[in-house]
Amino acid sequence: MKLTGAAAAGAAVGGQSRILHALVSKTAGNSKARIERKFSVCDMCFNKCGLIAKVDPYGVVKKLDPNPKFLKSRGMLCARGNAGIKQLYDPDRLKYPLLRQGERGQGRWQRLTWDQALDHAAEKLQRIAEKYTRCGVLFMAGTDLQSTFVHRFANVFGSYNVISHESNCLLSLNRAFLDTFGEIPIPDMLNCKYVIMAGANRFEALVTPDSIDLMTAMQNGCKLVVLDPRFTKTAALANEWFPIRPGTDMAFFLAVAHVLVAEKLYDPRFVAEKTFGIEQLSAHVNPYTPEWAEKECEIPAGDIRRLARELAAAAPTAMVYPGRRSSDYENSTQIRRAFAIVNALLGNWDRPGGLTAARKIGIKSVPYDPPFYEKNPEKRIDADRSLMMFEEEGSFKHARDAVIEGKPYPVKGFFTYKTNPMQTGANRSKTIEMIHTLDFMLTVDIAMSDTAWMADIVLPAPSNFEREDPVSALQGSSACACMVMRDPVVPAMFESRPVFWIVTELSKRLGLGEYFNYSMADYRKKQLEELPDAMDALLKDGVYYNPGKLYGVYEGKVFKTLSKKIELYNQRYADAGIDPLPVYEPPKQVPEGKFRIVVGRNAYITQGSSTNNELLHELLPENALWIHPKPAGRLGIKPGDTVAVASKVGKGILKAHVTQETRPDTVYMDSGYGALSKGLTLVYARGACIADILEDYSDKISGNMAMHQTMVTVRKIT
Amino acid sequence: MIRRLGSALILLVFLIGAVGLALAAGDGNARKGKYLYRKNCRTCHIDGGSAKSLSPIDKTQAKWDEAFKNIEKMPCKDKWSALSEKDIQDMYAYLWGHAFDSPSPAKCE
Repeated sequence: MKLTGAAAAGAAVGGQSRILHALVSKTAGNSKARIERKFSVCDMCFNKCGLIAKVDPYGVVKKLDPNPKFLKSRGMLCARGNAGIKQLYDPDRLKYPLLRQGERGQGRWQRLTWDQALDHAAEKLQRIAEKYTRCGVLFMAGTDLQSTFVHRFANVFGSYNVISHESNCLLSLNRAFLDTFGEIPIPDMLNCKYVIMAGANRFEALVTPDSIDLMTAMQNGCKLVVLDPRFTKTAALANEWFPIRPGTDMAFFLAVAHVLVAEKLYDPRFVAEKTFGIEQLSAHVNPYTPEWAEKECEIPAGDIRRLARELAAAAPTAMVYPGRRSSDYENSTQIRRAFAIVNALLGNWDRPGGLTAARKIGIKSVPYDPPFYEKNPEKRIDADRSLMMFEEEGSFKHARDAVIEGKPYPVKGFFTYKTNPMQTGANRSKTIEMIHTLDFMLTVDIAMSDTAWMADIVLPAPSNFEREDPVSALQGSSACACMVMRDPVVPAMFESRPVFWIVTELSKRLGLGEYFNYSMADYRKKQLEELPDAMDALLKDGVYYNPGKLYGVYEGKVFKTLSKKIELYNQRYADAGIDPLPVYEPPKQVPEGKFRIVVGRNAYITQGSSTNNELLHELLPENALWIHPKPAGRLGIKPGDTVAVASKVGKGILKAHVTQETRPDTVYMDSGYGALSKGLTLVYARGACIADILEDYSDKISGNMAMHQTMVTVRKIT
Repeated sequence: MIRRLGSALILLVFLIGAVGLALAAGDGNARKGKYLYRKNCRTCHIDGGSAKSLSPIDKTQAKWDEAFKNIEKMPCKDKWSALSEKDIQDMYAYLWGHAFDSPSPAKCE
């Protein structure tokens, strides 16, 4: 391939002039009337809250306001959402296609034209397909409205090795609730009167409308009990907080189930009519007494018994909050099964203040018929490494291992879109090892993430304010079931192009153009075929609602399980040799002189995608290691000291935050820092990266990463 | 009489064997089945098509079992005769494996 006319190597990232000031410094004088208000959808986290961008006459976005008609966020936009303006006007944004020069991760780049970049990428993908089969390319896309086109491209290209970000996040939770209720429920926080929240931090790691609704519910008298080894903001606002020993949540909930069953505190009619396996469950939880659980989770037996009784008294407007990220232990699916089982005993399914079913919104899928490639291997690369993986989500942990091993077959290409496994996938050295085995890696993103930094070709995507997106459905609990879409608020800057356009162009070059022969308008039209009023509402209000029934939707209907009921006892597990009821396994003890490390985030950040945001960076320029004063004193660590945190697989260096807000046996750090990429100028080498330190265990059933099983040493650096 | 019973038994064993072969999901290639289903069935079983729109999640695994045992009762049975045993196995693996009550219910697309 010829690269004539390309800019010199070494250009493009790090130390770029801050040209964007010129763009945003002009003002529109005093003419407020000339400010245009345009609907869009936030992209600062996965919630996708509706917003209104105020655009001045020069075409510059001046401010972001909430869309008052967007009920999922109860008409609000959080501070992080407001900072979205700096994602648009970020001097660190990728500006044109780049080709790696020198070693991977060295940071030497050559500017390409789009034609050069696409020709090169198509040639590489074709070569891998011919040499190793089409499944020789692994695809990974983040939670983005255009990720669907990456999936379609993968299918058309012929690889079913597609993994989502979710196997580093919540798949064990989804597995557990799907295998209990036959679907993944939506909690109705607003109408709940009693919530036990274990390991979720809903007042910092925001979920709309859950975070807002829980606050409102508490103002209306809802009781919140938090189990967390850390005194989070959620714990601080709770009625009661128990610093549970990490990894023992199942013991707590089995003991709660024990009390509910032993004292017959459940609704016998609901359980008889709607659940399967109460006899087996009763026998199973018999030995799991609160006294037994106290020894495991360090919560007094009297409190466990009391909480169980209070929960039952508030039922069915009571719940064990299902949570979100559940990538914590090797038995996370079974831990979350215990959460699900207690919910079933509370009889809160399909009722106000309980767990509700996802509602139909009416967007039509757009069918397509990808070709079948006979030469492809039969299975996914990550198959047979966990007991019940979600085929359509895959497992990053297992796919990475398989690529490194070259088994069951070689995978030599990697296509990523707006996802950053270099930051979120435990054991970063393994991710680097995997990337070094590849023939070709392509990344499409807004900024030079750590993952992009390792790629061979990096293609600049527009931000959420500069592109057309398909219509997307959102579940908003009692607030709504709705749909949103995005149109450009301002024209795309630099040479950024949406991934929809990128895969369309690649398809043409690969002889697959017939599968991407439509425009976004065509696609949306098809999506809304059965909803003639939807487009008008989207243009007028920025959101469309489908006012379906929220409660009682299961009346007269069966559950999507083998028994057609809520499975306290899971028959399919029994058939597959998996414990049909959650059997408690104590977590590994923390060895003398070590700590268990747990990770999470606060309200300022969404992992690596927001820590380089100028406005948010001001609030938290780097992460710190939370350590309890007792062990800190023993180790001679004072607040603000620099410490080294080391596991079996890696090390991080960061400041110490000495605080009683974590257990003495547990240290904590925020995700999203310690970037390797010099293209992230604010967060490069600031703080430490969780993926550098965490060992890569996985949930045995779902293949979800297990990130709370790593033991570390901490020492002061002098 | 004994001989007739014997023949009936042989026939029964044969039938069970044949059904068993067609319905062993583990033997089929679900990915190929998805392709074959799209190619052969979704031409009619689609919104606005000549038959009812159909996807794996429209039936439970038991209902798919039943459907595949009664292919000859389907209005489109002639179309099925053009398919090989392997094709049918593959389609069964896809439809049964992603049924309403399966561990991986199909997503819409």
